[in-house]
Amino acid sequence: MTNRPIRQLYLMITLALLAGYLWLIYSLYTDSGAGTVETGVCLFKELTTVPCPSCGSTRSVKSLVRGDVWNAFYWNPFGIIISLTMILLPFWLIFDLIAKKNTFYIFYIGLEKFLKNKWIAAAAIILVLANWIWNITKGL
Amino acid sequence: MDTQKIDAFMMNNAKYFESYHLPQIRSRLELLEDGDWSRIYGLQFKDPMMMLIASLLGGSLGIDRFLIGDVGMGVGKLLTCGGFGIWTIIDWFLIMGATREKNVMVLHNALP
Repeated sequence: MTNRPIRQLYLMITLALLAGYLWLIYSLYTDSGAGTVETGVCLFKELTTVPCPSCGSTRSVKSLVRGDVWNAFYWNPFGIIISLTMILLPFWLIFDLIAKKNTFYIFYIGLEKFLKNKWIAAAAIILVLANWIWNITKGL
Repeated sequence: MDTQKIDAFMMNNAKYFESYHLPQIRSRLELLEDGDWSRIYGLQFKDPMMMLIASLLGGSLGIDRFLIGDVGMGVGKLLTCGGFGIWTIIDWFLIMGATREKNVMVLHNALP
Protein backbone atom coordinates (compact mmCIF):
# COMPACT_ATOMS: atom_id res chain seq x y z
CA MET A 1 0.00 0.00 0.00
CA THR A 2 1.98 2.91 -1.22
CA ASN A 3 0.17 5.61 -3.13
CA ARG A 4 -2.88 7.71 -2.39
CA PRO A 5 -5.66 6.07 -4.49
CA ILE A 6 -4.81 2.66 -3.03
CA ARG A 7 -4.91 3.97 0.54
CA GLN A 8 -8.18 5.75 -0.18
CA LEU A 9 -9.76 2.58 -1.56
CA TYR A 10 -8.68 0.52 1.46
CA LEU A 11 -9.89 3.17 3.89
CA MET A 12 -13.23 3.44 2.14
CA ILE A 13 -13.78 -0.32 2.14
CA THR A 14 -12.83 -0.53 5.82
CA LEU A 15 -15.41 2.16 6.64
CA ALA A 16 -18.04 0.43 4.50
CA LEU A 17 -17.37 -2.92 6.22
CA LEU A 18 -17.59 -1.30 9.66
CA ALA A 19 -20.88 0.36 8.72
CA GLY A 20 -22.16 -2.92 7.32
CA TYR A 21 -21.31 -4.93 10.43
CA LEU A 22 -22.71 -2.27 12.77
CA TRP A 23 -25.92 -2.21 10.74
CA LEU A 24 -26.13 -6.00 10.74
CA ILE A 25 -25.62 -6.23 14.51
CA TYR A 26 -28.14 -3.44 15.10
CA SER A 27 -30.80 -4.99 12.87
CA LEU A 28 -30.27 -8.50 14.29
CA TYR A 29 -30.58 -7.05 17.78
CA THR A 30 -33.79 -5.13 17.07
CA ASP A 31 -35.40 -7.88 14.97
CA SER A 32 -38.47 -9.42 16.54
CA GLY A 33 -37.80 -12.71 14.80
CA ALA A 34 -40.16 -12.67 11.84
CA GLY A 35 -37.46 -11.36 9.53
CA THR A 36 -39.82 -8.89 7.91
CA VAL A 37 -39.25 -5.81 10.04
CA GLU A 38 -39.18 -2.64 7.98
CA THR A 39 -36.50 -0.25 9.15
CA GLY A 40 -36.69 2.33 6.37
CA VAL A 41 -33.00 2.75 5.64
CA CYS A 42 -33.35 2.97 1.86
CA LEU A 43 -33.40 6.57 0.63
CA PHE A 44 -34.76 5.47 -2.75
CA LYS A 45 -37.75 3.67 -1.26
CA GLU A 46 -38.46 6.44 1.22
CA LEU A 47 -38.61 8.98 -1.62
CA THR A 48 -40.38 6.96 -4.30
CA THR A 49 -42.19 4.20 -2.32
CA VAL A 50 -40.80 1.77 -4.94
CA PRO A 51 -38.16 -0.67 -3.66
CA CYS A 52 -34.66 -0.26 -5.10
CA PRO A 53 -32.70 -3.17 -6.67
CA SER A 54 -30.97 -3.94 -3.38
CA CYS A 55 -33.95 -3.60 -1.06
CA GLY A 56 -34.31 -6.75 1.02
CA SER A 57 -30.60 -7.44 1.25
CA THR A 58 -30.55 -6.80 5.00
CA ARG A 59 -33.32 -9.40 5.42
CA SER A 60 -31.35 -11.66 3.08
CA VAL A 61 -28.12 -11.37 5.10
CA LYS A 62 -30.07 -11.92 8.33
CA SER A 63 -31.64 -15.07 6.88
CA LEU A 64 -28.17 -16.29 5.94
CA VAL A 65 -26.92 -15.59 9.47
CA ARG A 66 -29.71 -17.92 10.67
CA GLY A 67 -28.63 -20.51 8.07
CA ASP A 68 -31.73 -20.09 5.91
CA VAL A 69 -30.20 -20.03 2.41
CA TRP A 70 -33.55 -20.33 0.60
CA ASN A 71 -35.03 -17.24 2.27
CA ALA A 72 -31.75 -15.42 1.79
CA PHE A 73 -32.14 -16.00 -1.95
CA TYR A 74 -35.82 -15.09 -1.85
CA TRP A 75 -35.40 -11.75 -0.06
CA ASN A 76 -32.65 -10.63 -2.41
CA PRO A 77 -29.92 -12.63 -4.20
CA PHE A 78 -27.65 -9.58 -3.74
CA GLY A 79 -27.62 -10.43 -0.03
CA ILE A 80 -25.59 -13.55 -0.78
CA ILE A 81 -22.99 -11.50 -2.69
CA ILE A 82 -22.94 -8.97 0.17
CA SER A 83 -22.51 -11.74 2.78
CA LEU A 84 -19.61 -13.32 0.90
CA THR A 85 -17.97 -9.89 0.50
CA MET A 86 -18.42 -9.09 4.19
CA ILE A 87 -16.91 -12.43 5.23
CA LEU A 88 -14.02 -12.45 2.77
CA LEU A 89 -12.87 -8.80 2.63
CA PRO A 90 -11.74 -8.27 6.25
CA PHE A 91 -9.34 -11.23 5.93
CA TRP A 92 -8.14 -10.01 2.53
CA LEU A 93 -7.49 -6.46 3.77
CA ILE A 94 -5.71 -7.71 6.91
CA PHE A 95 -3.57 -10.02 4.76
CA ASP A 96 -2.58 -7.09 2.51
CA LEU A 97 -1.85 -4.94 5.54
CA ILE A 98 0.38 -7.55 7.18
CA ALA A 99 2.12 -8.72 4.01
CA LYS A 100 2.49 -5.09 2.78
CA LYS A 101 1.04 -6.07 -0.57
CA ASN A 102 -1.85 -4.72 -2.63
CA THR A 103 -3.34 -7.94 -3.97
CA PHE A 104 -6.87 -6.65 -3.30
CA TYR A 105 -6.25 -3.44 -5.25
CA ILE A 106 -4.95 -5.46 -8.21
CA PHE A 107 -8.09 -7.64 -8.03
CA TYR A 108 -10.31 -4.54 -7.81
CA ILE A 109 -8.77 -2.96 -10.92
CA GLY A 110 -9.10 -6.28 -12.75
CA LEU A 111 -12.74 -6.57 -11.69
CA GLU A 112 -13.46 -3.05 -12.97
CA LYS A 113 -11.87 -3.90 -16.31
CA PHE A 114 -13.89 -7.14 -16.46
CA LEU A 115 -17.18 -5.34 -15.75
CA LYS A 116 -16.43 -2.68 -18.38
CA ASN A 117 -16.56 -5.33 -21.11
CA LYS A 118 -19.75 -4.47 -22.94
CA TRP A 119 -21.18 -8.02 -22.98
CA ILE A 120 -20.50 -8.55 -19.28
CA ALA A 121 -21.93 -5.11 -18.52
CA ALA A 122 -25.06 -5.81 -20.58
CA ALA A 123 -25.61 -9.15 -18.83
CA ALA A 124 -25.10 -7.52 -15.42
CA ILE A 125 -27.56 -4.72 -16.22
CA ILE A 126 -30.18 -7.25 -17.34
CA LEU A 127 -29.71 -9.26 -14.13
CA VAL A 128 -29.98 -6.14 -11.97
CA LEU A 129 -33.12 -4.99 -13.81
CA ALA A 130 -34.67 -8.47 -13.52
CA ASN A 131 -33.91 -8.48 -9.81
CA TRP A 132 -35.41 -5.02 -9.49
CA ILE A 133 -38.64 -6.13 -11.20
CA TRP A 134 -38.73 -9.16 -8.90
CA ASN A 135 -38.28 -6.85 -5.89
CA ILE A 136 -41.20 -4.71 -7.02
CA THR A 137 -43.48 -7.71 -7.62
CA LYS A 138 -42.51 -9.14 -4.22
CA GLY A 139 -43.55 -5.81 -2.71
CA LEU A 140 -40.49 -5.47 -0.48
CA MET B 1 2.26 24.15 -30.72
CA ASP B 2 0.73 27.49 -31.59
CA THR B 3 -0.86 29.46 -28.76
CA GLN B 4 -4.12 30.10 -30.56
CA LYS B 5 -5.01 26.42 -30.69
CA ILE B 6 -4.10 25.96 -27.04
CA ASP B 7 -6.15 29.00 -26.04
CA ALA B 8 -9.15 27.69 -27.95
CA PHE B 9 -8.80 24.25 -26.34
CA MET B 10 -8.47 25.73 -22.86
CA MET B 11 -11.45 27.99 -23.36
CA ASN B 12 -13.68 25.21 -24.63
CA ASN B 13 -12.63 22.61 -22.08
CA ALA B 14 -11.82 24.51 -18.89
CA LYS B 15 -15.13 23.45 -17.31
CA TYR B 16 -14.11 19.79 -17.51
CA PHE B 17 -11.08 20.22 -15.22
CA GLU B 18 -10.28 21.55 -11.76
CA SER B 19 -8.88 25.08 -11.96
CA TYR B 20 -5.62 24.02 -10.33
CA HIS B 21 -5.07 21.51 -13.15
CA LEU B 22 -5.23 24.17 -15.86
CA PRO B 23 -1.65 25.56 -15.70
CA GLN B 24 -0.22 22.05 -15.83
CA ILE B 25 -2.49 21.08 -18.73
CA ARG B 26 -1.45 24.19 -20.65
CA SER B 27 2.25 23.49 -20.18
CA ARG B 28 1.79 19.88 -21.32
CA LEU B 29 -0.17 21.03 -24.39
CA GLU B 30 2.63 23.43 -25.31
CA LEU B 31 4.97 20.47 -25.71
CA LEU B 32 2.55 18.72 -28.06
CA GLU B 33 3.51 17.92 -31.66
CA ASP B 34 1.12 18.90 -34.47
CA GLY B 35 0.41 15.25 -35.25
CA ASP B 36 -0.88 14.49 -31.75
CA TRP B 37 -3.33 17.35 -31.78
CA SER B 38 -6.14 15.51 -33.58
CA ARG B 39 -6.09 12.81 -30.91
CA ILE B 40 -6.57 15.42 -28.20
CA TYR B 41 -9.49 16.94 -30.09
CA GLY B 42 -11.15 13.55 -30.34
CA LEU B 43 -11.21 12.98 -26.58
CA GLN B 44 -14.59 12.72 -24.89
CA PHE B 45 -14.85 14.41 -21.50
CA LYS B 46 -17.67 13.97 -19.02
CA ASP B 47 -19.60 17.10 -18.09
CA PRO B 48 -19.49 17.58 -14.28
CA MET B 49 -22.92 19.24 -14.33
CA MET B 50 -24.48 16.26 -16.13
CA MET B 51 -22.88 13.93 -13.60
CA LEU B 52 -24.35 16.00 -10.77
CA ILE B 53 -27.79 15.56 -12.33
CA ALA B 54 -27.14 11.82 -12.68
CA SER B 55 -26.05 11.75 -9.04
CA LEU B 56 -29.18 13.53 -7.85
CA LEU B 57 -31.48 11.29 -9.87
CA GLY B 58 -29.74 7.91 -9.86
CA GLY B 59 -27.18 8.23 -7.10
CA SER B 60 -28.75 5.59 -4.87
CA LEU B 61 -28.34 3.08 -7.71
CA GLY B 62 -24.72 4.12 -8.25
CA ILE B 63 -25.44 5.39 -11.77
CA ASP B 64 -23.25 8.47 -11.27
CA ARG B 65 -20.22 6.33 -10.39
CA PHE B 66 -20.84 3.96 -13.30
CA LEU B 67 -21.00 6.89 -15.73
CA ILE B 68 -17.63 8.34 -14.75
CA GLY B 69 -16.03 4.88 -15.01
CA ASP B 70 -15.77 4.09 -11.28
CA VAL B 71 -17.39 0.70 -11.83
CA GLY B 72 -16.23 -0.79 -8.53
CA MET B 73 -17.69 2.10 -6.53
CA GLY B 74 -20.86 1.90 -8.62
CA VAL B 75 -21.34 -1.76 -7.75
CA GLY B 76 -20.72 -0.90 -4.10
CA LYS B 77 -23.41 1.77 -4.15
CA LEU B 78 -25.85 -0.39 -6.10
CA LEU B 79 -25.57 -3.34 -3.73
CA THR B 80 -26.01 -1.27 -0.57
CA CYS B 81 -28.98 0.99 -1.51
CA GLY B 82 -26.50 3.80 -2.17
CA GLY B 83 -24.47 3.10 0.96
CA PHE B 84 -27.56 3.33 3.22
CA GLY B 85 -28.35 6.66 1.55
CA ILE B 86 -25.37 8.29 3.27
CA TRP B 87 -22.91 7.65 0.45
CA THR B 88 -25.54 8.91 -2.03
CA ILE B 89 -25.70 12.25 -0.23
CA ILE B 90 -21.90 12.48 0.17
CA ASP B 91 -21.51 11.84 -3.58
CA TRP B 92 -23.85 14.74 -4.45
CA PHE B 93 -21.00 16.91 -3.18
CA LEU B 94 -18.06 14.82 -4.42
CA ILE B 95 -19.19 13.77 -7.89
CA MET B 96 -18.30 16.97 -9.76
CA GLY B 97 -14.75 16.90 -8.41
CA ALA B 98 -14.47 13.17 -9.12
CA THR B 99 -15.64 13.76 -12.70
CA ARG B 100 -12.99 16.45 -13.23
CA GLU B 101 -10.30 14.15 -11.81
CA LYS B 102 -11.39 11.41 -14.25
CA ASN B 103 -11.25 13.90 -17.15
CA VAL B 104 -7.70 14.86 -16.23
CA MET B 105 -6.77 11.17 -16.18
CA VAL B 106 -8.30 10.73 -19.66
CA LEU B 107 -6.27 13.68 -20.96
CA HIS B 108 -3.05 12.52 -19.27
CA ASN B 109 -3.41 9.05 -20.76
CA ALA B 110 -3.81 10.57 -24.23
CA LEU B 111 -0.85 12.95 -23.95
CA PRO B 112 2.49 11.49 -24.93
